[in-house]
Amino acid sequence: MTKKEIGDFREVWLVDFEFGCEDGCTPDPVCLVAKKLGSDHTYRLWQDELKKLKLPPYDIGPESLFVCYYASAEMLCHLDLDWPFPTYVLDLFTEFRNLTNGRTLPSGAGLLGAMVYFGLPAITAENKNEMRELALRGGPWSAEEQKVLLEYCETDVDALELLLPKMEPHIDLPRALLRGRYMKAAAKIEHTGIPVDTTAHNLFKDNWESIQDILISEIDSGFGVYEGRTFKRDRFEAWLTQNNIPWLRLESGQLDLSDDAFKEMARCHPHVSPLRELRTALSKMRLSELAVGSDGRNRCMLSAFRSKTGRNQPSNVKFIFGPSVWLRSLIRPRAGYGLAYLDWSQQEFGIAAALSKDSLMMKAYSSGDPYLAFAKQAGVVPENATKKSHGSERSLFKACVLAVQYGMGAKSLGMRIGQSESHARELLRLHGKTYKVFWEWSNAATDCAMIKGKLWTVFGWNIYVGERVNPRTLQNFPMQANGAEMLRLACCLAVESGIRVCAPVHDAILVEAPLEELDDCVAKTRELMAEASEIILDGFRLRSDADIIRYPERYMDERGEIMWNTVWKILNNMVAQ
Amino acid sequence: MKNEHNKEPDKAKFDLASLKLSQDFGAEVGVKKLITTIPIRKPNKHEFVRVHAGPAYQLQTAVIEIKEDRETYFVDQAIAIQLPDMVVPKLIVVAINRQGIVFLWPIRLPGPDGRHDNWNSSALEASNISKETWIKVTSNMSLGAYEVYEAVANLPEPEWPELDFQEIMAIACKDRFIKSLDHPVIKRIRGEI
Repeated sequence: MTKKEIGDFREVWLVDFEFGCEDGCTPDPVCLVAKKLGSDHTYRLWQDELKKLKLPPYDIGPESLFVCYYASAEMLCHLDLDWPFPTYVLDLFTEFRNLTNGRTLPSGAGLLGAMVYFGLPAITAENKNEMRELALRGGPWSAEEQKVLLEYCETDVDALELLLPKMEPHIDLPRALLRGRYMKAAAKIEHTGIPVDTTAHNLFKDNWESIQDILISEIDSGFGVYEGRTFKRDRFEAWLTQNNIPWLRLESGQLDLSDDAFKEMARCHPHVSPLRELRTALSKMRLSELAVGSDGRNRCMLSAFRSKTGRNQPSNVKFIFGPSVWLRSLIRPRAGYGLAYLDWSQQEFGIAAALSKDSLMMKAYSSGDPYLAFAKQAGVVPENATKKSHGSERSLFKACVLAVQYGMGAKSLGMRIGQSESHARELLRLHGKTYKVFWEWSNAATDCAMIKGKLWTVFGWNIYVGERVNPRTLQNFPMQANGAEMLRLACCLAVESGIRVCAPVHDAILVEAPLEELDDCVAKTRELMAEASEIILDGFRLRSDADIIRYPERYMDERGEIMWNTVWKILNNMVAQ
Repeated sequence: MKNEHNKEPDKAKFDLASLKLSQDFGAEVGVKKLITTIPIRKPNKHEFVRVHAGPAYQLQTAVIEIKEDRETYFVDQAIAIQLPDMVVPKLIVVAINRQGIVFLWPIRLPGPDGRHDNWNSSALEASNISKETWIKVTSNMSLGAYEVYEAVANLPEPEWPELDFQEIMAIACKDRFIKSLDHPVIKRIRGEI
């Protein structure tokens, strides 16, 4: 029977674990408090007692609801204890995020923040941090420490008991349970982790200081913009002039040297990429913070539902897909295994086409080459044009489609395609004219947000129009946030069908399988991704692409290939010396 | 660290089809574009236009043209007969360009003597052609008439706004209608202000 309200469940369990956790490892449960709602029935169990149990002390069947705050942590504890997952999970964190997404929260979205939001009494942040540190410190704990940790764990359960009735009127339970389903999948994904070449990682870590200086001289030899370890703006400006590259500028007229500007410019001038990688490597990369566990796998909290679009937002320094792209080549399957990186082809275009029901856009997507199809539909190339015969026109129309997706104006698009602003404006006009139905729908989404104060996805992930509203965020929300729904659903389907999902990455999934099963795993994952798209997009199937990596190969992102090879060469030379 | 071999006791059941929320935001809040400005002008030399083919979407009337300001004023019939030297007879047709901008295209009609120069007769002919097809109209000084260029591409039919001719005229004429001799435009032409 479908549960529509919390009262439809026979039992509701409020649960919290305290756990220790080393970087890159899975949580080690320290204690548990679980309270049955509306009764005095409470379990207070220390880790030695927990580890003796083959099953949780509370009911996890379909007639019981498991309530917690940030469920993937609780689910990781279940995994560590080898306990089954509860059938239905209600995560008050995801629901609090969904209730307040887009609004300013003075006390944040943590449990304390939610308590403050609803005017409920809560322990102080200092006390919470102190207790967390005590749990994270690891054992052994004195009898007194055990007592205070259990008491602290119980305060979180008491907080859930106060919070639940306050939040209940705002919770759309059937869809909240769907989000709870993803938190279970996310826990399994975090638990699986990403295999890393630890030998290379350790070599990089140990030699990083020396590598950086050599790296500057190697990469900068093609640019001449560094003085020691300092990036010189005037030298860079001279290099740009010499190479006839128009660069984004700030309002002040100064060159925009932000990473976003480098990222943007590297798209149209790929030879700038190594310089961007170098700058990132020198300024942001802290190799020692990449979270690699003792089993050689990169693990960190996926931070599900943290971004406005509902996407995961893992730590940029801890997650291997966070820092520089070249570092992703540390990803390497273990012996006998392979990895596959699968992403939906032109996902945003496909979502925009299907949700807006723009038949021309859907036709363009279904053609397999939406960019060339767009050029044909706009009447710029003949019907029999191919990627080979009209490659340059296709590139322009591709840039235009991506510009629309990024919310770019004519000026940025002009720079990107190396043409005048008026040329770019004409391209954007052709998009508006060709995909009129999409634009009407997209504008209606913004109107809807401004009138109703919110937008939502197919499964009810909301964004509220806050004080500082960005129309571009609202306009892009249906594509991004429904893309996030699609990824979550695909992850659930994959994990539940036994596929080892190592990580979700924006619109992609990294999976792992023994070499002899890898092709089947890829085929199955692709089918599940297509199924997820079909569910989200009313029967419209999105295609997917797969990059397959078989041991001993390593993952390689072409944007970071030069940098990886350069660092590797430096390292080899250092080792040889 | 253990690997996953964890099984749910009972798989959660989700009827995803019933959980889906509509993404038809237009139906959630109806927002309709209101046309508040309809210019009175001839087509620009670069724009492709169509003229409304409905017989009810045209009018023969008297106007006053202020050439230096490129402005056209409609004149009430009762006033027009008192200003024979100022008013000119015009055919007003409703036109639209490829960007969906609706405008009134005034075309001079022959005077009482029946004479019609090549400029005006070619404009009239162009407006008739554009009832069927997208054209652009450019002046050719040595020809002494307008030249008509037809778009050969298979362009879609224009999407006319849901307005009848009276409503279009009301929008276009709201600041451009002279119904008294005290109107500032009349006074200006007469040198009274």
